Amino acid sequence: MRVIDVSDLGRTFRSRSGLRRTEKVVEAVRGISFQVERGELFGLLGPNGAGKTTTIKMLITLLLPTSGRIEVLGHDVVAKPREVRRRVGYVFGGDRGLYERLSGLDNLRYFAELYAVPAREQRARIGELLELVGLTGRERERVEGYSRGMRQRLHIARGLLHRPEVLFLDEPSIGIDPVGARELRQTVKALIEQGTTVLLTTHYMFEADELCDRIAVLAGGRIVAEGTPEQLKQKVSLGSVVEVEVFGLPGGTDERIRALPGVRSLVVEERGPAQVLLVHAEPGSELTQPVLSALDGAQVGRVSTRQPTLEDAYVELVGGA
Amino acid sequence: MSSFRLFLLGGLTSYRALFSWLSPWILIPTFIVGPIAQILFFAYAGRAAGVGDDAFYVIGNAVQNAAIPCIFAMGITVGDERRQGTLGLLLVSPARRIPLFLGRALPVVVNGLAVALVALGAGSVLLDVPIHASSLLSLTGVVAVSAFACTGLGLANAALSLRVREVAVLSNLVVGVLLVFAGVNVPLSDLPGWMAAVAQWLPLTHGIAAAREVAAGAGLASVRDDVLAEAALGTLYVLVGLILLAWFERESRRRATLDVA
Amino acid sequence: MTVFRVIGVAWWLQLKMRSRSAFDGLLGILYPLFFSTVVFMMFTHGGAQGPALLSAAVGASVMGVWSSTSTTASAALQQERRQGTLELLVAAPTPLPVVILPVTLSMATIGAYSLVVTLLWGRFVFGVDLAVQRPVQFVVAAVVTVVSIGVLGFLLAVSSVRYRTAWALGTALEMPVWLICGFLVPLDLLPAWTRPISWLLAPTWGIDAIRAAAEGRDTLPSLAACLGLAVAYGVIGSLLAVRLVDAARRHATLALT
Repeated sequence: MRVIDVSDLGRTFRSRSGLRRTEKVVEAVRGISFQVERGELFGLLGPNGAGKTTTIKMLITLLLPTSGRIEVLGHDVVAKPREVRRRVGYVFGGDRGLYERLSGLDNLRYFAELYAVPAREQRARIGELLELVGLTGRERERVEGYSRGMRQRLHIARGLLHRPEVLFLDEPSIGIDPVGARELRQTVKALIEQGTTVLLTTHYMFEADELCDRIAVLAGGRIVAEGTPEQLKQKVSLGSVVEVEVFGLPGGTDERIRALPGVRSLVVEERGPAQVLLVHAEPGSELTQPVLSALDGAQVGRVSTRQPTLEDAYVELVGGA
Repeated sequence: MSSFRLFLLGGLTSYRALFSWLSPWILIPTFIVGPIAQILFFAYAGRAAGVGDDAFYVIGNAVQNAAIPCIFAMGITVGDERRQGTLGLLLVSPARRIPLFLGRALPVVVNGLAVALVALGAGSVLLDVPIHASSLLSLTGVVAVSAFACTGLGLANAALSLRVREVAVLSNLVVGVLLVFAGVNVPLSDLPGWMAAVAQWLPLTHGIAAAREVAAGAGLASVRDDVLAEAALGTLYVLVGLILLAWFERESRRRATLDVA
Repeated sequence: MTVFRVIGVAWWLQLKMRSRSAFDGLLGILYPLFFSTVVFMMFTHGGAQGPALLSAAVGASVMGVWSSTSTTASAALQQERRQGTLELLVAAPTPLPVVILPVTLSMATIGAYSLVVTLLWGRFVFGVDLAVQRPVQFVVAAVVTVVSIGVLGFLLAVSSVRYRTAWALGTALEMPVWLICGFLVPLDLLPAWTRPISWLLAPTWGIDAIRAAAEGRDTLPSLAACLGLAVAYGVIGSLLAVRLVDAARRHATLALT
């Protein structure tokens, strides 16, 4: 079943600024379409200003689309915002969005009330969420004394109070330490296992690679690629990368390597006494042996081969858009 | 006047705070509507209570409103220096400190003067309180000296507020004290002795007294003592402010407290 | 029923939050004392005594309720916006009016503290004789007035969902309302054209009911007018809130970014 159905979605912003009140029109989202199935973890990637947050805000009813339509859990976000709000959760990164002078517990109580969590279930639900995000024991302290990681975990607990069927996570791992980020990924995985559908935006490629079932890459308000992380890596024509450390590169070697079949490009970097050859292969080519033979007896240090990462793919996709 | 309580609430104390005053949506309510409302409120309260006359309230409250930009803007200025981490730099260059702070104070004084004059004009028209055209120039001079004195107090207050967490609370208390003590709506002769004694050491007290006389037609010469006292108090508070700032700076270098935002 | 529960819980948490801030809490109580001190001095030197002085004291106390509401209500939503919670409030299924009303009611409640403090200040510092003829009705009228001021604040707060500088408007309204509602100055002293405005403002009737209770007159008509107007504000404010949120969704003015 389709949980999120976005078709031809567009959003423009008009703002007036300066003394002459000149109008500026910005097209933040320009006709995007995608679908998310129940239980899927869908990633929205893209550089700053690509339209990720604008898209999420339209999905959670905070912004009206200027064109196209969105259905979340079968409800139109424009016509039936309350139906949507009841069933979705929203968590954003950073340390805003909390009442600093209230305790973590009071913050959760407040939103439990606003999300109509039945009074008799509140206590248990809040307790179980505090346990889930690891804030048990700290819940009576005021939020102003919380660390960034604790705030983020409190945010997640807040977003889950009403057991949303869909959770929107807008750059949730921004500014938290690696251990916190890892715990966050564990929490997200656990939610998916329980059947929650998650839409995630992030700047961290390894995070997207590890978590997402499918990814859409946004750039300039358009979707430039969509698919599983594997599909995205294959979609961009990247082969493996061979790195060879050489001490004293014989003259003419670089021409010989460039002439090898399957070599797409060669970069030579000077690193102290050594040179490092970075050989980018065409997809499907295996170059380690040919490159080593071409070096013809020169003193060779470390040799390594790596597969292209999602980040390589992302950079190529976004750069090309 | 409590507009400024809000103004300072939370994020509006940000770097752009001073510039955002320039919006007419803020200028008109806070610097025009607010002061005029205060004049009308106290003038009518005076009528209801059967004390004073309209001229008394128009001049008292108009001049008192000069204190508002003076006290609050100085707080913001010093607060900003601290936030940007330039306060320390300022304070370690003692030779340039005084012109620097005074340079910063000048627009604030002009702001206070303008607020008071607009309120004075509007109040005199609305309540039909005649002000002699011949006294306009000297009145402007007296109000300018009062605004300077308030700015001095503002600097001292700003220095103190480096040490307290809620700057806005302190600034509001200072403005409140001026409202009660400085003879704005209650003549000094009606205040208990100790309050009247305190008032002698506050800015505005002498300025408002001089402004009332000048508006009634007195020459500058006859209010010379009050104007000089007001100017001297202003200078005194500026000095107190600078000394406090330098002292806190030294303290904070020892205890690393200044750049705690 | 759940609506009342939401309002109750939110009111309590908001009150908790405000009373922890020196700004909203302490100053909200202290600041009106500067004004009431001036008022007490003016009236005692004008020779006011007994019921006349009590009447001024009552007016000065209600002034504080309106101060702490008007000056913060219009900024309340700006504050939510600044701390990034406004979007979360709008994104919640509870209708926004139900979320905002307790915010301004909590402000009026802080004002109610100042009401009590001002009366005590008048009693012990200025020797105001708090001889209230009908104490129960006095308290009821005071509570209704505080609630009506909270709802008026709600109307004000709602208008600032979209306009980023609406707080300035709210503070500019502080003293005009003191004047026009006859907190201190009898309405007859004001120009005749202000009369209809006074009648449309619930606090006018609220303060009249409080004075009536103090003097032993019938409080019911004024109390009914005060409540009726408060309900009307609530309805208008709610309708406005819904429309303003729609506009904010269209123009993207919910977030500060």
